[in-house]
Amino acid sequence: MTHQVALTIITEIKAGEVEDIKQLLKTMSDNVACNGVIPFGKFSNIHFARLFVLDESIDLNGAVIAPSLVLMSECDAPLGRFLNELVDMAGEGLDKIYSHCVDYPASEITRKRRLAYLRSKIVNTSVFYVNTVGRMAQQIRQESQLRNAIQDFLDHAQQDWSGRSSLEVRAKILAYIRSERTLSWARKPPAQPGLFFKLKETLHMVGMPLLVLVLLPVLIPVLPIWLLLLRIHELSDAAPHFKPDDAHIQDLAALEDHVAQNQFTAVGYVKPGWFRRLTVWGILLAANYGTRHIFNKENLAGVKTIHFARWVVINEQRRVIFASNYDGSLESYMDDFIDKVAWGLNAVFSNGVGFPRTSWLIFGGAKDEQAFKDYLRIHQIPTQVWYSAYDHLIALNIANNAKIRAGLYSKMNKTEAEEWLRLL
Amino acid sequence: MADTLDLQDMQGLIIRGYGNLRAACYILLEISDPQLAKIWLNAQAGTITAGQARPEEKAFNVAFTYAGIKKLGLEPAILAMFSNEFINGMAVPHRSLLLGDVEESSPAQWIWGGPSTSPIDIVLMLFAVDDRELSDVYNTYAKTFATSGLTEVLKLDTVDLGNKEHFGFHDGISQPVMEGLPQTETAMNTIKAGEFVLGYPNEYGLYTDRPVIKPVMDPKGLLPRDSSGSGNVDLGRNGSYLVFRQLRQDVRGFWQFLDEATKNPDGSSNPSARIKLASQMVGRWPSGAPLLKTPDQDDPQLADANDFAYYQTDPYGFNCPIGAHVRRANPRDSLDPQPGSEQSIAVGKRHRILRRGREYGPPVDAAELLTVKKSSAEDQDRGLHFLCLNANISRQFEFVQHTWVNNPHFDELYDDADPIIGTHYPDGGTFTMQAKPVRKRLNSLPRFVSVVGGAYFFLPGIRAIRYLANH
Repeated sequence: MTHQVALTIITEIKAGEVEDIKQLLKTMSDNVACNGVIPFGKFSNIHFARLFVLDESIDLNGAVIAPSLVLMSECDAPLGRFLNELVDMAGEGLDKIYSHCVDYPASEITRKRRLAYLRSKIVNTSVFYVNTVGRMAQQIRQESQLRNAIQDFLDHAQQDWSGRSSLEVRAKILAYIRSERTLSWARKPPAQPGLFFKLKETLHMVGMPLLVLVLLPVLIPVLPIWLLLLRIHELSDAAPHFKPDDAHIQDLAALEDHVAQNQFTAVGYVKPGWFRRLTVWGILLAANYGTRHIFNKENLAGVKTIHFARWVVINEQRRVIFASNYDGSLESYMDDFIDKVAWGLNAVFSNGVGFPRTSWLIFGGAKDEQAFKDYLRIHQIPTQVWYSAYDHLIALNIANNAKIRAGLYSKMNKTEAEEWLRLL
Repeated sequence: MADTLDLQDMQGLIIRGYGNLRAACYILLEISDPQLAKIWLNAQAGTITAGQARPEEKAFNVAFTYAGIKKLGLEPAILAMFSNEFINGMAVPHRSLLLGDVEESSPAQWIWGGPSTSPIDIVLMLFAVDDRELSDVYNTYAKTFATSGLTEVLKLDTVDLGNKEHFGFHDGISQPVMEGLPQTETAMNTIKAGEFVLGYPNEYGLYTDRPVIKPVMDPKGLLPRDSSGSGNVDLGRNGSYLVFRQLRQDVRGFWQFLDEATKNPDGSSNPSARIKLASQMVGRWPSGAPLLKTPDQDDPQLADANDFAYYQTDPYGFNCPIGAHVRRANPRDSLDPQPGSEQSIAVGKRHRILRRGREYGPPVDAAELLTVKKSSAEDQDRGLHFLCLNANISRQFEFVQHTWVNNPHFDELYDDADPIIGTHYPDGGTFTMQAKPVRKRLNSLPRFVSVVGGAYFFLPGIRAIRYLANH
């Protein structure tokens, strides 16, 4: 089984203990790979992980939402393996963290009870974008090793390759790889996603359009009404342009640009009323379909810098969390959003309170550059602990490494060999 | 319809670099008495060189840091309308990470603009036909400082090296042209005025955030109206953000590294290989001729060639390496979405800057370039006073610096920050030269350029300066 899964565990923090947790998270973030609480670097099948606090919040009706702690990870299936490693390698660390949370056993804590607690707090992910479905963490690390080895070979085997033919150079590289014991894994192509997973995905891919087809007689008359209501909401929804608080920006910026990738976590309220709630539900359903079957290989509608992204609906559909792992700076990430996928972001985020005004769901909105950037910063929250298993690789490097490996197995003609060598 | 550019209210530096005025200096000032400084500013406002005509003898422009604007007593609500980057300044820790101002370039080591140097409030930029005239101009202003509540923190001199910079390359060839000016340029290189001047539509067709205030806050009616139609008055209009960075160049280190990298098997130097490698790193030959057009040898005929794009001719970097300085500072049509397309160009146009820098420090004697080993303490300081203008520091200067120039992963590369001005850490980056049958690469690139000072300034319109002096 080789596909990636998204884990979200949300636990309510005990009254008055938010600062204790934040302190603890701070100590973890100083050395995230090998910290004494959860040593993320030791997990075998993890891509990314994060821990953050959702502070206490007042909802749109004035009700208090208690603060909570969110643990997220993107890891390779099966999820059970990750949870088991968590309780095995970080049992006492989990106690340290979750003793500040509601429902955590106070005494006689066993492995089993820890595991049961975590499992009981798992929250479903509505939409999970994976840069390339099925590319495992180990594969990413190995293919990076492969590329580095070839580069070193090219640098050191001889000073000057010019004058050699592309086939000759390629043959030398292949011979080197065959001779290199540490690259023995590269003799066969990477594993494919499991049969059961593929079957499930195919059923979903075919089933959803079929369902829509069946429901068409209902949907067709509903659509104009929905569009009309949408337009009325769009024209009447408040879309104020606030500038984010400077101290807030400083807090967020301090956590950014340390490595080639960055994290983004944001939370926001869904606009009040059944109409927006229904629209969010429908859009997330469509987005789920799109990420699983259309945008599942290295490219999210033209954006090639996102490793993983997810939407998680919380608090009985009152709020939505958006979390992603991306390459480069937040500025370039936001510019990509505006320039390439404004329509998609509009469709989802325009159902959130405070989003710049859209028209017909997908137009306008994020195209209001500074209002959109301010909206994102205002809704972004600090990701107190963030771990990346390969923080020196951008998604395009990973994709390129995979192409280098994929080119090892077939016989190539001159042109193909030239193309393959260009990957180096 | 976009309104016409109000050149009389723009400081001249936005329109031109005053290339005919060969001498220039930058005076960094601290305001010690804001009241006196405001009186001084009001008196000088009339002498500020505006944009409508090319000055033949001298020019004078002025810009303010956030600290400076604040000292002049603007209300907090107005101050908060300036951009976040300007408010926080260039030297805050996160920005240092973003800009690559770390290790020897870290603000803690700066000679100005850093956390441990004197505060900078104002920069005066003086230009004259020659050094003698410049010194007269300087003296005229300098003698007013003491009685005007101003203290000179540092005077930054410049040197005229013709059109070359210290490494020996023709510099400043590719400049965007602002739409609305009489010059005509290619569409790719013609950029909406709002990308460089506040108060005009930018490449998104929007007005970049700026301090726009209620007319009651301007009882004397000094400020222009907000042309976006809000009914307010616009403190930002005809102004721009000025990025100022003093970049020290290790000229001997640069050429000695290249000499070592291109030596013949017998250990002797190979001057033509050395210059070729340097040109591959720059992306243009010393004359300025782009490698894209002439990959094998310099061609002075092409010295000013700027009407080209990359994708059609050189998608793989065989002529001009993907990581070459000019290809990353202005990628033209080479990046996503869809390299070679109008969309690619449109995205690129949102990340342009107007460069206005000048060199400083004596050039290295060519005879000693390779023979005398550098000793940083004894060697004289030289480099570039990098100045650039933009309306949105974050989307323009900082984006270009972080996402293009200093990004080891630029355009799918792995560890190739800018070979000329990039930060190579922790253990030196690589420079990849795409080639047939397979790439060549240079490993363990040292850092040749470091930052020794810098600040973000606001270069107001002239009416805005009167407002600052009189409110």
